[in-house]
Amino acid sequence: MANIAVDSVKERTFDAIVIGSGASGGWAAKEFTEKGMKTLVLERGRDVAHVKDYPTTNLYPYELEHRGETTYKDKQANPIANRCYAYKEDTAHFFVKDDEHPYIQETDFDWIRGYQVGGKTLLWARQTQRWSEYDFEGPARDGFAVDWPIRYRDIAPWYSHVERFVGIAGNRDGLTTLPDGEFLPAYPLNAAEDHFRQAVAKHYSGRHVISARCAHLSKPQPIHIQQGRVQCQNRTLCQRGCPFGGYFSSNASTIPWAQKTGNLTLRPFSVAHSILYDKEIGKATGVRVVDTRTKETIDFFAKVIFVNASTLNTNLILLNSVSDRFPNGLGNDNGLLGKYIAFHNYTARISAEYDGLLQYKTDGRNPAGGGYIPNFRNVQRQETGFLRGWAAAFGASRHEQRNTEGAGVALKEDLLKPTLSNWRIHSHMMAETIPKESNRVWLDTDKKDAWGVPLLHIAVEYDDSDWERRQDYYDQMREMYETAGFTNIRTSDDNRRPGNDIHEMGGVRMGHDPKTSLLNKWNQLHHCKNVYVTDGACMTSTATQNPTLTYMALTARAVDHAMQELKKGNL
Amino acid sequence: MIEKKINRRTALRNFLFIAGGSLILPACFRESGKASIALSNITVSEKDEELLAALVETLIPATDTPGGRELLLHLFVLKMVDDCHNPDEQRAFSEGLSSFAGWSVRELGGDYADADQERRLALLSRVEESGNGAIKQFMGITKRRTIQGYMNSQYVMTNLVKYELIPGRYNGYAAAT
Repeated sequence: MANIAVDSVKERTFDAIVIGSGASGGWAAKEFTEKGMKTLVLERGRDVAHVKDYPTTNLYPYELEHRGETTYKDKQANPIANRCYAYKEDTAHFFVKDDEHPYIQETDFDWIRGYQVGGKTLLWARQTQRWSEYDFEGPARDGFAVDWPIRYRDIAPWYSHVERFVGIAGNRDGLTTLPDGEFLPAYPLNAAEDHFRQAVAKHYSGRHVISARCAHLSKPQPIHIQQGRVQCQNRTLCQRGCPFGGYFSSNASTIPWAQKTGNLTLRPFSVAHSILYDKEIGKATGVRVVDTRTKETIDFFAKVIFVNASTLNTNLILLNSVSDRFPNGLGNDNGLLGKYIAFHNYTARISAEYDGLLQYKTDGRNPAGGGYIPNFRNVQRQETGFLRGWAAAFGASRHEQRNTEGAGVALKEDLLKPTLSNWRIHSHMMAETIPKESNRVWLDTDKKDAWGVPLLHIAVEYDDSDWERRQDYYDQMREMYETAGFTNIRTSDDNRRPGNDIHEMGGVRMGHDPKTSLLNKWNQLHHCKNVYVTDGACMTSTATQNPTLTYMALTARAVDHAMQELKKGNL
Repeated sequence: MIEKKINRRTALRNFLFIAGGSLILPACFRESGKASIALSNITVSEKDEELLAALVETLIPATDTPGGRELLLHLFVLKMVDDCHNPDEQRAFSEGLSSFAGWSVRELGGDYADADQERRLALLSRVEESGNGAIKQFMGITKRRTIQGYMNSQYVMTNLVKYELIPGRYNGYAAAT
């Protein structure tokens, strides 16, 4: 970490401040520093340097004290973190423990967080799909939330810009529901997945099973080698941090890239307390930071501020940025800041077996995870009783089965002579949810955290339409499974709480009208134009895609806009 | 070629490395009558540990490759029960271990650890008949953790069922021969 002198305003003044170093913050840092902007990136957690700070990355299973399991004590201390699928003995150090940053659950909500340089890019599932025109048109057509102030054509070039640098493995599938991007070779479907793809294509028009698109370097290009990244080695130990840089993380990619420009100042251990506003000039002037080691409060200044603290923390910072002009939080004249939080409904699974194609098995590991079924519901027109639709992850694998019945020499021999199961088919739902005013966050008036920042109340719930979408997923997937000749089909409710999908979005939504939205079409606060919000908080609706790619594209687009506005003297 | 034996010193050193260094005391230094690894939640005597070692060796005996005792699977079972199981399961494990000790003495006319493999196996096949819930639960935990410890042991993962840290490939149409 650079040693930052804090004794003069000049030394605390930058061209741009970015709050957060995750996917979108890392992109803001990269874009700004490449354009010559002296940029301060504030990260509330510790530094995590690529490779150096991945302590478990090369451990064999037997080198983990509990072979990957978290302990009973840990489960008792951290029920929220333990409910995350990726929280294990080898990854726990990249997750926020429950008591580190408490919040108030008005309704059950799992807030899964990664407070360190790189944020959750170390932990993400790396699934990367573009939104389609249908997704951006959704709210206006169906009359919910507010109209997105952008359309697919506005973001398409920025998807390309991001994809080339990140490296996305995928096929050009030619689907209007899931536009193609700048792809590296896809990870192919396996025999049973491919069989399902063909069966679905044969029986349905408008339904597609494709290779999951993911942020892995299946075939690195010069731009990736320049980042110091090499080909994905199919370890699928991604959440430990990848020493190959085989998947995209801020740590492997945008942050070191920004550092190489000489324009980046990375400041870990810096909780953003609030954004400073000057009503005389009508702009934000900087960010108030609490140093988590010294508890010292320090103000940093810049012409432009990007808020990329992760959806709910971005809401929290803006709500806590109160002034005479903005007594209810920065830019919050309409009282909608913190409202219309939405997420993805992941509460459904369907499994089956397939006893065909047993002449094949898989060899090695697929970092993409398998297949993906883009949403096909209510695409061209409203055709069901519920709004919008769902996408699905889909995969097939054959398991090594071992007879563990016996004891002694017989057991020992059985353990070393596994047989291959039939194909086990699995899928989980990723459904759109409809943003509602009642799904919201707000600040506690009394209780504060260890850094003097008010605690966040969270009230985010499912509604009846979520269960209608789920029933449709079960019904349609069952039918599609039957069509493919799968047997032993089983649906299972996965009673995960909102938040456990780790796709929380909204609260600072984009829109045309300052009366009904917080951000304009460039992600600027309507009422404080030199503050941009380009993480999940900006999302007007959720669509069904994994959202990170869209945050990164919106960020690059917004930085480009900010640079133009700075040149024009508008910020 | 498969390495047929690993000596106990190597195994111990590996376990030491794995467990973070402070857990194991060589038997000659240990406090008389106590288990050889530090446990926080369950109480296990030297004799209990010996019984557990006999049990993991019964489940996975030494053949031309190491067995449960040599791979220290009894210590793995204890470590997992102590750290990863809830208090109810820990209680059942301890009770079951103690009940099993008594039951086996009654059935075998001596300590389980002193019986030959044939008699030990025969007794294990009658656990259901013992009519003792704690014994059944204890055996369930012990067997599951023994198998897990075996399959995830360095010996098995490097010699018998090789674990690939860096596969570097994926083929979805590999021949299932």
